[in-house]
Amino acid sequence: MTDTFEPTIIGFLCNWCSYAAADLAGNNKFDVPATLQTIRVMCSSRVDPVFLLSAYLHGADGILIAGCHPGDCHYQTGNYYTRRRFALLHKILETFDLDPQRFRLSWISASEGQRFSQVTKDFAEHIKKLGPNSVNKKPFTE
Amino acid sequence: MSKIGLYLCKCGPNIAEVIDLDSIVQSISQDKTVAGVQIHNLLCSEDGKKFLAESIKKNEFERIVIAACSPKQHEATFMQVLSSAGLNPYMMQLVNIREQCAWVTPDKNAATAKALTCIRAAINRVKYHALLEKKEIECDPGVIIIGGSITGLETALRTAQHDRKVYLVEETTLGGRIKNMRVLLPLMASAREILQAKIDAVRNNKHIEILENCTIDDILGFFGNFVAHVHAQDKKEHELKAGAVVLALDAQQFTPTGLSSFGYGQIENVFTAAEFEALSSDKVVTKSGKPADSVAIIHCVGRKQLGYCSKICCANSMKIARDIVSRSSGTKVIQFYKDLCLPDKSYDRFYEETQSKGIQFIRYNEIEIEQKDGHVAVKVNSPGDEGIKITVDMIILSTGITPPSRAAEFARMFNVPIDEYGFLKQEHTILEPVSTITEGVFICGGMYGPGDITDSLAQAGAVAGKILSSLVPGKLLELEAKTSTVSETMCMGCGACVDICAYGAVKLDQNKNISVVNEVLCRGCGNCASVCPSGAAGHRHFTTRQIAQEMIQILK
Amino acid sequence: MTTEKNKKILVIGAGLAGIEASLLLAKAGRQVYLVEKESYFGGAAIKSEEVTPNMECATCMLAPKQSDILENKNIKLLTLSEVIDVNGEAGDFTVRIKKRARYVSIENCIGCGACFEPCPVSTPNEFEEELSKRKAIYVACAGALPNAPVIDMENCLRSKGEDCKLCKEACMFDAISYEDKDEEMTVNVGAVIIATGYKLGDIGQFPQYGYDKKSNIYSAFEFERLRASNGPTSGTIQMRDGQKPKSIGLVHCVGRDEKKYCSQVCCMYLTKFAHYAFEQLENIKVYQFYRELTIPGKGSQKFSHEVKAKGVEMLRIKSLVISPNGSDPPVKIEYQNEKSEKKAIDLDMVILAPFIEPYPDTDRLARLLQIELDDFGFIKTAPYDSVATSRPGIFAIGCIQSPMSMSDTTIQAHIAAGQALASTEG
Repeated sequence: MTDTFEPTIIGFLCNWCSYAAADLAGNNKFDVPATLQTIRVMCSSRVDPVFLLSAYLHGADGILIAGCHPGDCHYQTGNYYTRRRFALLHKILETFDLDPQRFRLSWISASEGQRFSQVTKDFAEHIKKLGPNSVNKKPFTE
Repeated sequence: MSKIGLYLCKCGPNIAEVIDLDSIVQSISQDKTVAGVQIHNLLCSEDGKKFLAESIKKNEFERIVIAACSPKQHEATFMQVLSSAGLNPYMMQLVNIREQCAWVTPDKNAATAKALTCIRAAINRVKYHALLEKKEIECDPGVIIIGGSITGLETALRTAQHDRKVYLVEETTLGGRIKNMRVLLPLMASAREILQAKIDAVRNNKHIEILENCTIDDILGFFGNFVAHVHAQDKKEHELKAGAVVLALDAQQFTPTGLSSFGYGQIENVFTAAEFEALSSDKVVTKSGKPADSVAIIHCVGRKQLGYCSKICCANSMKIARDIVSRSSGTKVIQFYKDLCLPDKSYDRFYEETQSKGIQFIRYNEIEIEQKDGHVAVKVNSPGDEGIKITVDMIILSTGITPPSRAAEFARMFNVPIDEYGFLKQEHTILEPVSTITEGVFICGGMYGPGDITDSLAQAGAVAGKILSSLVPGKLLELEAKTSTVSETMCMGCGACVDICAYGAVKLDQNKNISVVNEVLCRGCGNCASVCPSGAAGHRHFTTRQIAQEMIQILK
Repeated sequence: MTTEKNKKILVIGAGLAGIEASLLLAKAGRQVYLVEKESYFGGAAIKSEEVTPNMECATCMLAPKQSDILENKNIKLLTLSEVIDVNGEAGDFTVRIKKRARYVSIENCIGCGACFEPCPVSTPNEFEEELSKRKAIYVACAGALPNAPVIDMENCLRSKGEDCKLCKEACMFDAISYEDKDEEMTVNVGAVIIATGYKLGDIGQFPQYGYDKKSNIYSAFEFERLRASNGPTSGTIQMRDGQKPKSIGLVHCVGRDEKKYCSQVCCMYLTKFAHYAFEQLENIKVYQFYRELTIPGKGSQKFSHEVKAKGVEMLRIKSLVISPNGSDPPVKIEYQNEKSEKKAIDLDMVILAPFIEPYPDTDRLARLLQIELDDFGFIKTAPYDSVATSRPGIFAIGCIQSPMSMSDTTIQAHIAAGQALASTEG
């Protein structure tokens, strides 16, 4: 069996820190997995756990949320809420026998272009090892 | 159905070299929802922008997707182009296929596939973009200053101008802590003279209305539109309107009653620095009226309890020492210190001069004050010298600076958090030191933190700078467009969004029991939209549907 | 009869102070000329990975402000520029500005970096404290703004007579032009704000510190660049030979005795360096050689205690001599402790906190503006009017008037914005 599995990974990046880090990775030509598709939000706290669950249930193999380091949030406290929500989501996923391993929360500051590359590469590797998301995908109606 | 125009930027070779734009055009042309696709070499150039504006007008596109560089580079640029072409600038989505695609994906096929996916995602997102306006509101450029301390006086003087009314509200009479000092750093100038000059200037300034012996009852409104109610001692009430409020109460000095090793309140002739400075006698005398032949000044009293260095005490102690010897040349003064904190370029010299006046400095590790035959004794453990004991006539304890006694009360009234030391929390330690998270409420002097007159005057000036630049007479306040929204019909009034908002921008309307967003205060983070259990709260330009559309395309 | 005051403001220096003042002035609707000597802006703050007391990411803090400056219609940022002449008085200054040639068009350049690779020149990178090299066509560091390189004509082969066109040939946007000339422009403004900042003092002049730029004795900015994610080692703290240090000595008050003033921020940033070391290097031994611990301000003591609790060895000293060893560990510190006992210790790496000085050439600027300097060479300001220089209408903010923390710098920027606005009303 050949390993042709290319995961689909969604990354929610906060505008001020992690999105800037992703851009910096680009400026420095660091590699970022092609399997990562990014969605920009103003703050990681905009990421409603419902988005994450939806993504998972629609078959996303990996879901990444990246925000500012604690204490650095552009909106004071947003990322603390992100952290709490993520922890709660983790618990729910475990409780319902879904796969928390497919979710990751990472703090990446605007100057950490290399780190962005590293984190995303590590996560993509990790997801590849997990294999495809085997959830029964709800087919899209359109 | 809106006409959607898609523009792909080659960015010279940067994008075109890696991403097969022609194949993207091919794929997108199958999408019936896209009215037209065009490739341009460099959209951000003058030529490119001109092309874009003309093309939009010619094709009568209503929604635009541009696949190019990062929005952090040129979102503003292209938004302006849309405006010039007669479109609402928010009817656009800029897809990052350069920094986050072409530049990080060496495999061309993979890069092209990734670019195609995000372009599709953007196309679907832009269908749900709403017309957004940058709103403007009128504002009152006036200022209400609470606290007639030197900080309050200075703030009043710096903000009082034509077209700007300043109210200075003080519970007692003007002056504050400085009233009780003799001389001030850094030049040993007369405190009375300096204070009086400020008070006179304030009294003579026709833009400043002084409300002495007045207390503030409440404050309503928000930045640009505050209304405060104060009442005077004679019960007369005043309603004050302003655009900004400044909290300028004086700090206090820590009283070390709980610290037995310093003997305060137990042993005679042990004073805090503030108490000593307030003693009115010109001669330096003990409680019994006898001249004090020797005085010990102890630094860092209570520092461990307070948890911070109050910055000014070392120099202030030297100031007191020098003042003592200038009034009473025979008096011996010894300063007992732990670390000499002299954070001003003139203070090393000040220290040298202090020493040259015969004032002695002894470093201590541990110290204890004892009573001894009608005198006071200082027992000290000094590095390299265990167990020194010195007898003096008087002890002055340089204790730290603490917040105003009513800081917490004002914090509640103005919806500003208190920091862990009891001072009011700055919006940001480095970038917004005199602002708070309640927009329009500023802090300085004792509400800000420990400092001396130089710091207080500087903070007052900084507050003035913020006010003068943000509340300009005749100018409207421009508001953030991508703010939060709350649907009246869906809101259950649970208040989760009220609690979560770092800026106090969401309030519960008690009558309707729904949340209402104050667009002046909202900074557009979207946290409330996430926390809302009923889906009532939304985030303009980052609505759930818009984000969902991106996600759905990615996962198709 | 009074003539109407000119409403435009000149800000000299685009570091934290200049950026803050400019943004407030622009917000008030004023036109600002923001003159910056370097090819990039952001000043000293962007050299640090994190800043005290909360260890916040300096770039994250400044980047939105820098974007604001670049996009702001009211602010004209002039990089590679200097003030060369000033005439007039408060309310009506005429200022001549020299704009040095960039040789790269900011309008056409898209910041792709294709021009760097072919350049054959290699010269030490000043921004990176010469810890790495750059080409003749270069940007100061990754992420520097404006996002366009500059050609250092002095080192470019073209100035040595060669017709090298390699960078121009690599550019697909026709952004490079060797014919660019230095320009001069004249502006009229109502007030001037000086925000030119500081440099770290030259410690080579004090032989007792052993600083020779070769041994493992570093100056503060060098260590900052080692730790910076966008720096010469991508953030890895390492010795000259690339090895990880096992012990680090942090030396306070370098030059204080000679200069006779406290530079105010060093105790805090050395604590930050200790924090960097503990975070990155397992089992690292950290020593602080200090005189008087100066950590004023609300969050400072807490931060200092937290870092100390990780095991910093605090040594109060009366004097010390630092010299490279021949051996391993490679740096020797001989010191006199507070009990006047003579001690010595060998360490892998030593970092010096040099005294802070006004930005180079401040006396020339002071002469141009006809303002006074104090005894230390900083711009002199009034005791209770902290940004007012000896001339009305000219203000000085930040470290050009005294060493100070970033929050005090912002406060001064706010003050000057307010005073510049007030002094040019009517």
